[in-house]
Amino acid sequence: MNRRKLIIALAIMAATISSAAGQKPHPSSSGPEVAGNASEVVRIKLPDYAGEVPKGPNMQVYESNCLLCHGSRYVTIQPPFSRETWQKEVKKMVDAYGAKISEADQPKIVDYLVAVRGVAESKPGQSGH
Amino acid sequence: MPDVETEHVLGRRRFLSAMMTAGGVLAARRAFGAALEIGPGLGLDGSSAPAPTLARYPQKTDLILLTDRPPQLETPLKYFESDLTPNDAFFVRWHLSGIPTSVDVQSFRLEVEGKVNKPLSLSLTDLRKQFEPVSLVALCQCSGNSRSLFDPRVPGGQWGNGAMGNARWTGVRLKDVLDAAGVQAGAVQVGFRGLDEPAQPQTPPFQKSLQIDHARDGEVMIAYEMNGQPLPMLNGFPIRLIVPGWFATYWVKSLTKVTALDQPLKTFWMDKAYRVPDNPQANEDPQHLARETVPINVMPVHSIFVKPEAGERLRAGQSSEVAGVATDGGSGIKQVEVSMDGGRSWSDAKLGPDLGKYSWRSWRANWTPAAKGTYRLMVRATANNGEQQVTEQWNRSGYARDVIEHLDVTVV
Repeated sequence: MNRRKLIIALAIMAATISSAAGQKPHPSSSGPEVAGNASEVVRIKLPDYAGEVPKGPNMQVYESNCLLCHGSRYVTIQPPFSRETWQKEVKKMVDAYGAKISEADQPKIVDYLVAVRGVAESKPGQSGH
Repeated sequence: MPDVETEHVLGRRRFLSAMMTAGGVLAARRAFGAALEIGPGLGLDGSSAPAPTLARYPQKTDLILLTDRPPQLETPLKYFESDLTPNDAFFVRWHLSGIPTSVDVQSFRLEVEGKVNKPLSLSLTDLRKQFEPVSLVALCQCSGNSRSLFDPRVPGGQWGNGAMGNARWTGVRLKDVLDAAGVQAGAVQVGFRGLDEPAQPQTPPFQKSLQIDHARDGEVMIAYEMNGQPLPMLNGFPIRLIVPGWFATYWVKSLTKVTALDQPLKTFWMDKAYRVPDNPQANEDPQHLARETVPINVMPVHSIFVKPEAGERLRAGQSSEVAGVATDGGSGIKQVEVSMDGGRSWSDAKLGPDLGKYSWRSWRANWTPAAKGTYRLMVRATANNGEQQVTEQWNRSGYARDVIEHLDVTVV
């Protein structure tokens, strides 16, 4: 396991401190008592809803760079956007969020995003947060 | 095992330590290999759009899954038929993948620091015992609620109308906490930070700020209860900031640090993100983006349909209830009008109970369509301050929607 893969695995672990395999999560409205004598930890286990990564060119470049911070569903819920919009999004991740994506990888990721969620737009769009 | 645990341990265990456990390794393997437990959902607009995916998270009922990491969960419209949104149906939106999944309620502290005479480190018991409890009903609405309705579409969480909820919040006045610490002259803002952490150290941690006068207005709250219960973990357990009338981006969850500042907070989350064109309607032309933007702030007046839902069929000659909610930023709703003929004629809807000026206001009307066919229903609200909705609006981030909405229904 190289370092990047380790980082991704850690990130996914963080998001999936999770229930036992196959266990269905169920709701609970019972809250903790806030006052008490002993130390008391309220803990939740996040379920696995990771989903499949859409297939596309440079999929591994996308996976190793983007899935550290984003679940793979994020791309799948986006409407199609132009190459220009996807370029802005990738640039924003680098400039604003400090994503360490190499110069060489950035256009590959754009190619992937255009392949899985690309179509010509008539007008520019930028991201909400 | 239950999905929510209360366990007794010594000391404080948090996200990062849990991340390193052997259980985490197993979880990571499952994340790559696990089958999905997802159910079918209802179409949002009855069109050919794919049905949304429903997911059930701890302390929550089935909600519309936008993203799993960080969790972004939308409330199905049916829950808006009640004036207070149930905690387990309340929408969820986090920014960073390192969200708190455990809190030690004994060792948890709210730090009050910065330009204050006496920095405070308050336990949850301190908050309850040292300050007067206050309670109010307030709408909590994501800045990007209804983003998927913008045309042209914009990137970001593709919310329908369910990224909001109305709840009774109980807690303490931020003013009282700041006064106990003694804010020094020269403080201009108060900054807020929660327990959530970025996945990478170079990513800016989520922080927001309010002007000092706003923070000390006696209405901004630190809430430890939501509808009479502790907050669900995913809605900001154990305490969150309540900024009545303002968009939820300021309602910092799992609030852990309050800092009096002698200069405006410099952070991506105020300076670059969550900004809107500097005009009252948060409007701009896609071809000519506004030069000046300001941090998003007070919610505009807006109204939505809750019943019928898109794609529902009504019967000719039978009375049907048409209902929804109207929202604004704190003057309260004066009037809601509905049109059953695409905006040619309008009539007043009946307003539901007034739960306070920061609450949403439910509305309803009875309608008996005379003949079969397709009808365009429309709804528009007017706030007590005279503010009205607009017919067209667009901005690059899909924020602060206040367009007069329509719903096409089929009568059979």
